Amino acid sequence: MTLEATDCLVKLYEEHHNLEDYQGGVPRWCTGCGDSGILTAVQRLCRDNDLAPERTVFVSGIGCSSRLPHYMKTYGFHGIHGRALPVAEGIKLARPDLDVFVSTGDGDCCSIGAAHWIHAIRYNMNMVVMLHDNHVYGLTKKQASPTSPLGFKSNTTPRGSTLLPLNPLTVTLGVQNVSFVAQAVDWIPELLYEILAAAYKHKGLSFVRILQRCPQYLPKMFDPWLQDPQKSLILTHDRGVRPSAGLAKIYRNQQEHDPSDINRAREIASLEDPIPVGILYQNPDVPRYEELRNAGQLRTADYIKAGLEAEFDKFTIWPDGHDAPAA
Amino acid sequence: MMRANAEAQNRTIDPVAFHLTGRRTDDGSDAVEGLQPALLAPYRELTSLRYDFPVVLSEEGIHSLTGIVNDMLQKVAPPGPTSEQLRKMILRLEREIRRLLAEGVRGTLSELWDRAADRLASTNGAEFAQTVRIGRAAIEVDGPCIDCDGTAAASIVGHVWQGVQNEKMRSFRAIVSRLALKLEDILRAEFIRSPAGRSAGSLQASVGAPHHALFDFSAMAGLLPPALAADALPEARRRRIEWALWVLKRQRFFPVAVGHGRTGDIAEPYSFRFENCAEAVGAFRARLADMVELVKAMATAELEITGRYVDERHDPYFDRFDASSLSAKDMGLFPDYLVVTVGSSAADNAGLLDALAAGLPLKIAVVADDVVEHGAAENGRFTFGLRGTQLAGMATGLGEAFVLQSTSSNLYQMRDRLHAGLAFQGPALFSIFTGSPAPQAQSRYLTSAAAMQSRAFPAFTYDPSAGDDLASRFSLENNPAVEADWTVDTLDYADENLQRTSEKIAFTFVDFLVADPRFARHFVSVPRTAWTDKMVPVADCLAHGAAASTDRVPYVWASDAVGRLERLVCDDKAIAAARRCLEAWHRLQESGGVHNSHADRLLAREKAAWDDQRRRDESLKVEVASAAPIASPAAAPAPAAAAEAKEEARSPDEPYIESGRCSSCNECIQLNGKMFAYNENKQAYIADADAGTFRQLVEAAENCQIGIIHPGKPRNKSEPDLDELMKRAAVFA
Repeated sequence: MTLEATDCLVKLYEEHHNLEDYQGGVPRWCTGCGDSGILTAVQRLCRDNDLAPERTVFVSGIGCSSRLPHYMKTYGFHGIHGRALPVAEGIKLARPDLDVFVSTGDGDCCSIGAAHWIHAIRYNMNMVVMLHDNHVYGLTKKQASPTSPLGFKSNTTPRGSTLLPLNPLTVTLGVQNVSFVAQAVDWIPELLYEILAAAYKHKGLSFVRILQRCPQYLPKMFDPWLQDPQKSLILTHDRGVRPSAGLAKIYRNQQEHDPSDINRAREIASLEDPIPVGILYQNPDVPRYEELRNAGQLRTADYIKAGLEAEFDKFTIWPDGHDAPAA
Repeated sequence: MMRANAEAQNRTIDPVAFHLTGRRTDDGSDAVEGLQPALLAPYRELTSLRYDFPVVLSEEGIHSLTGIVNDMLQKVAPPGPTSEQLRKMILRLEREIRRLLAEGVRGTLSELWDRAADRLASTNGAEFAQTVRIGRAAIEVDGPCIDCDGTAAASIVGHVWQGVQNEKMRSFRAIVSRLALKLEDILRAEFIRSPAGRSAGSLQASVGAPHHALFDFSAMAGLLPPALAADALPEARRRRIEWALWVLKRQRFFPVAVGHGRTGDIAEPYSFRFENCAEAVGAFRARLADMVELVKAMATAELEITGRYVDERHDPYFDRFDASSLSAKDMGLFPDYLVVTVGSSAADNAGLLDALAAGLPLKIAVVADDVVEHGAAENGRFTFGLRGTQLAGMATGLGEAFVLQSTSSNLYQMRDRLHAGLAFQGPALFSIFTGSPAPQAQSRYLTSAAAMQSRAFPAFTYDPSAGDDLASRFSLENNPAVEADWTVDTLDYADENLQRTSEKIAFTFVDFLVADPRFARHFVSVPRTAWTDKMVPVADCLAHGAAASTDRVPYVWASDAVGRLERLVCDDKAIAAARRCLEAWHRLQESGGVHNSHADRLLAREKAAWDDQRRRDESLKVEVASAAPIASPAAAPAPAAAAEAKEEARSPDEPYIESGRCSSCNECIQLNGKMFAYNENKQAYIADADAGTFRQLVEAAENCQIGIIHPGKPRNKSEPDLDELMKRAAVFA
């Protein structure tokens, strides 16, 4: 709002929502699935920031995680496999005033959608990207994903997977224009919420990898980390997140990390055990594509028509004696 | 060189008598005229010096000619022996531009550049012409070239104001065009959904004429589902949107963008430049109703395009929307009213303070060419600064207006502050001294620079947007030697034996008066033979008491047209004026946090208290040292044991969940939706421990992957298999 008169009226009749107001339908996820924790954290974020449901969009690709837009009573776009990010970018370009969230899985983002992922990081458009990483294709009943552990036996790798898993954090931190990278785990909901809140506040593409449990196809995968809090390295900083006193008593393995230090962030991202939890990197000064591309020109009907005419004129065959109009 | 005037030596001048009475004891036929302060003698020929002026007013801002030439030389002639010739030629051209301006020629930088080049080319040949062309190609800015003359202040303020208005215009256009586009979108979408929009004619109009024959538009219209009445815009909303659109399109506050020509009956945009406050205030009042209507339309449009307009809530508000509904921020979107008054009298400025106090969006530049009230001086009393410094001082007292005081010679240095003032959201006053017109012995630039140097017209800014306290708002920056009473410079001269001599002298208000012929009769030139030990520099005289004394006769150094030095004794009236000037400067210093009397007193009190404490401590030490050692002082009380964080009092028998760590995975809820429930953050807690069995509690604890469910002790002692369940529950205690 540019006018104080309107701000005042909007504040006067501001609508506040409860968590339930953002709940759209009963999730079909398995009992014990980490997606439920992510959904709860996102709903809390929407409630606490008073996000208007009609001005919020959740976009996803294909997979268990990509069902998330169905369970949010906001606008949503359940897209096609691997293409959540291009759809989200289109939405942001056309409607930069909307809050855009992307839910994508490890298969959706890191396999079929890997090209879009790399370029979305480079474009740095203002949105929150949540990579629900459970290390397995769950919706299609257990195939190895790019982040599956070495030796993982699945329908596509009956003798065990032969490739080392891809590390989405180091890949993202290696892309030019990266502006926000964090890692959360679904079983520490307090930090998951705090990290998503910081990601939402960040202006630029916030990439949050969320390690999540799949109780159906990889039930024991994260047991060591669930049972031993020392195996989680909590990254703390004034410009990052800090666990509450109660949580800090359980997760004592903490390290002060300045999110502006990209080299240290890359080192931390490479850790496999303990796994880092917190904000690895943040740079609010990276330019955003939607702003770079905003020429200040309103896309009026006349403007669009003039642009189209100019394009068509390039291919028009003009009758003899008629010249093409000046560009 | 000292003036050796035999005739003057023959006169019988009594400096003491002149100082005390202002009357000459000789015939007094020749008042001291045509002199200027000795410190300013080196600047007599300004055209051959490189300084801030002239300035070039380009679209990007204000540039000094010297700065432009320096930047250009960096590019085309970096320091080095090869480019020395080029540098010299360009600098000669720069000097020629200054000469042209001094002769009264006006124009843009490029015009003056060409004219100066033509003038010099005739004597310097073809090589010169080529060099100058290279130089000109490397200059990136152009615009009117302004010398520090009587109109400079008005031009510079007007130029910066225009820049700020252009910026506002861009942002206003962006806002209004966007609102208009979105409102049109709503109406267009409404049309497309309407029966008319789905008719064959409308479909045909959306396809290019050459292809009309290819389609059966009637059939296509028949395929479309009929328009539903529920889809239509309510009539009130349509009228409201059309009204807002109409108001947005016929606004007159900013010119419309090129290519969006005004049509039909829409009047020309308003002008915002005025020559006096009354006109500006009158125009503001006359346009207020238009402004209110436009803001109302914009606010309505903002609510409409975000779908937030609710008739029953907002209609009553907008029905009563009037001038009192406008906020300063909303008014800040509109152009400011610029008033430039040149050489106006106090009567002209009568309404000025009222206008500033009213908080109207006025930017008022009061350009004065005299800091010393002429009429009052004739009556034998100085009331200097009435027009300039007093006005700015009074405006500062209003508290909410931006105030800038400066001489025109200093405007280039203060350009950022000037811009801040013109962009300030609220009223602003710019009080500017331009230097007096002829018959001053020196140029306007030098007079205005001397006014600032002598504290006759100090520079300051008062910016209410910079903070809440005076320390943040008031700034004395740009004044020379802010901490001192007067500025002190070195005067180098040759004495009567032609020996080089240096002397540190202060440049006081009395020095400033020397150059003004109207005050010549307050000075008398004292020949070398009449100098006495009682003669002291004005600054030293001012440092003593206020009463005139026969022990001290104040003098200043002056020089004539050929640079001969003279010692001028001034009368007590000049000293009294200088004293008032100094007091005014002290008041400004206090505002600017320099030698603040309150702070000084506080500091003195604290220092005295500190000294006192130190003396007491030292005497105590002496006493302790002389006394016999006594038992060591009682040990400090043992530090209180660190308070341990107390766990929330909870019975170990009660079941509980660490809700803050719950990951909402539904395991426990699935097991018993009555016993376990989610809180407002969708994290599990035990809603009713009696709504299920102890077995369910234990199984929930075992199923919880994070292990945050604690089953406690069984509540129903008759439940089967309790021993086994207790063993399993012990893990989660």
